[in-house]
Amino acid sequence: MTRLLERPLVHFALAVVTVLVLPLVLRSGTLASEILIFGLAAAACNLLLGYTGLLSFGQGIFFGLGSYAAGLLLLRADLPAAAMLPLVALVGAGTATAVGWLSIRRQGVYFVMLTLAFSQLFYFLAYTSSDLTGGDNGLLNIPRPRIGERVLGGPWAYYAYVAVLFLVLFALLQRVALSTFGRTLLAIRDNEARASAIGFPVRAFKVAAFAISGAVTALAGALHAMLIGVAPLSNIEYHTSETLLIMTIIGGTANLFASVLGAAFYLIAGDLLSAIWPRWLLLLGALLVAIALFMQRGLWGLIERAAAAMTRSPAPEAARPADAAVTEEGRP
Amino acid sequence: MTYLLQILNGIGLGMLYFLLAVGLSVIFGLLQFVNFAHGAFYMLGAYLAYEMVGRGVSFWLALPLACLCVGALAALTEAILLRRIYAQAHTFHILATVGLALAVQEIVIIVWGPIGGNLPAPDGLSGVVILGDFIYPEYRLFVIGLTAVLAGALWWLLEGTRLGAIVRAGSESPEDMALLGYDTRRINTAVFGLGAGLAGLAGALAAPIRGVDPFMSVEALSVAFVVVVIGGMGSYAGALAAGLAVGIAQSLMATLWPEGARLVIYLGMAGIIVMMPRGLFGRA
Repeated sequence: MTRLLERPLVHFALAVVTVLVLPLVLRSGTLASEILIFGLAAAACNLLLGYTGLLSFGQGIFFGLGSYAAGLLLLRADLPAAAMLPLVALVGAGTATAVGWLSIRRQGVYFVMLTLAFSQLFYFLAYTSSDLTGGDNGLLNIPRPRIGERVLGGPWAYYAYVAVLFLVLFALLQRVALSTFGRTLLAIRDNEARASAIGFPVRAFKVAAFAISGAVTALAGALHAMLIGVAPLSNIEYHTSETLLIMTIIGGTANLFASVLGAAFYLIAGDLLSAIWPRWLLLLGALLVAIALFMQRGLWGLIERAAAAMTRSPAPEAARPADAAVTEEGRP
Repeated sequence: MTYLLQILNGIGLGMLYFLLAVGLSVIFGLLQFVNFAHGAFYMLGAYLAYEMVGRGVSFWLALPLACLCVGALAALTEAILLRRIYAQAHTFHILATVGLALAVQEIVIIVWGPIGGNLPAPDGLSGVVILGDFIYPEYRLFVIGLTAVLAGALWWLLEGTRLGAIVRAGSESPEDMALLGYDTRRINTAVFGLGAGLAGLAGALAAPIRGVDPFMSVEALSVAFVVVVIGGMGSYAGALAAGLAVGIAQSLMATLWPEGARLVIYLGMAGIIVMMPRGLFGRA
């Protein structure tokens, strides 16, 4: 059972199950779409945090730019969504390459501080260039995509569209994580000096991880803009970067599905609690402190413990992505 | 002359940035702990001064009280909570302090509401000084004077006293300090309180200039980060130089391109990182 939880195929199966179960348990198609969209962005964040060891406080940059790029391409260039999405991915990858290249010039906490400062930079950039971004109002009237003649106006029709893209991109991220490239990222995370001494171009690998993460995050931003019909300024704010990071850490960094779990938990808890008490973020703050103290492997860690208790085998001490990959590879 | 006034504004602003950044820097130097709640302590200082003055307490009393309360509260948080996290990875330092900052922000909204407010300049300093053809608020001159004195006192505290020597030695090697019989836990708590107290003081001093609002913490935190990225963490001179540079640049831009004033400091930071990855005074 615990072994099973380390297998990437199981993670993908869990992603499929999530896609199928959300419509059964949630009344709001918008909330369900949001869970997949933020789950995707959190998984992209995890590619940097869990797999490369880079804690990026700048994921909101790519999410926000993705929203703006989607809005501009749909409204001003009049492109269909199918043509817009690849371009948005390019915008995300390009920006992430630049931000990543600059940020990894410093390491450790300086790196974290730089990514946060860059997220402020892009926020003010979006705020000042209001002819492009609409400033405080955001870009309004962003249309939903259409399939053939049919516009995906209803919440569940759009959910289906998001779900397909979610599964494709999730599988893609998994491919990346399991590839030689992904293993090299793990080597860099575990011991950068060693990876560098072996001869890996560590900085190029980190920038590439940024580019992939940025592309997927921007796509999530584009999906979000089409969901709510607006590309708001708040998507590029510090707050979005913070939220994505919190979702990722709540879920746990052990694998990519854990991030989807984190996003689902954050959004569903937020939806339930904000109805009762608008200041529920106070509880979230307390939860984050509790996770730092007692639950460093996040929600996924809880699942692992539960599975271990059920099979009465000891919980894996450190079932990291590296271990998962090795298990998969080493199977006869 | 307009520029001269803006430079004067910038020096005041820059000295507040210095107080913020040097607190962050000292805490990191000793504890290897990035305090993402630093902006929250700054905001708390501002709100405490705002509340006390609103209840009729003199600003001159409110200022040191706000600083002491924030420092004591931070020391308490460190002693109860944060010291349990030191042994863990940076990710969890950041997570815990982000959580703390979030909780403080929500508490501020619960207690004082989401709108924010203004704090009048204190009695005796609400007037203006005439400088040639221009007038300049007395309070801002006072901020420059007080922060300059504080900067000097802090320099003396860190470089000239036994406590400063202990702190610097602790930054180099906490194990050796423990072996020599120093109670590093108490030193850690004291330094955390000192750093946060400086942030609280900066907030209280800034309140009559910029008012108070529940989102001032994020802004303060990111500016403090810019200052330490440019100046180098753990460098007193770097924090001073970078704080002043950022303050003056922001104030000058406020006349040239008001909407872009904030943008410019982040662009400047990006430029410096490209040219000098270690910052102006950085060691590592």
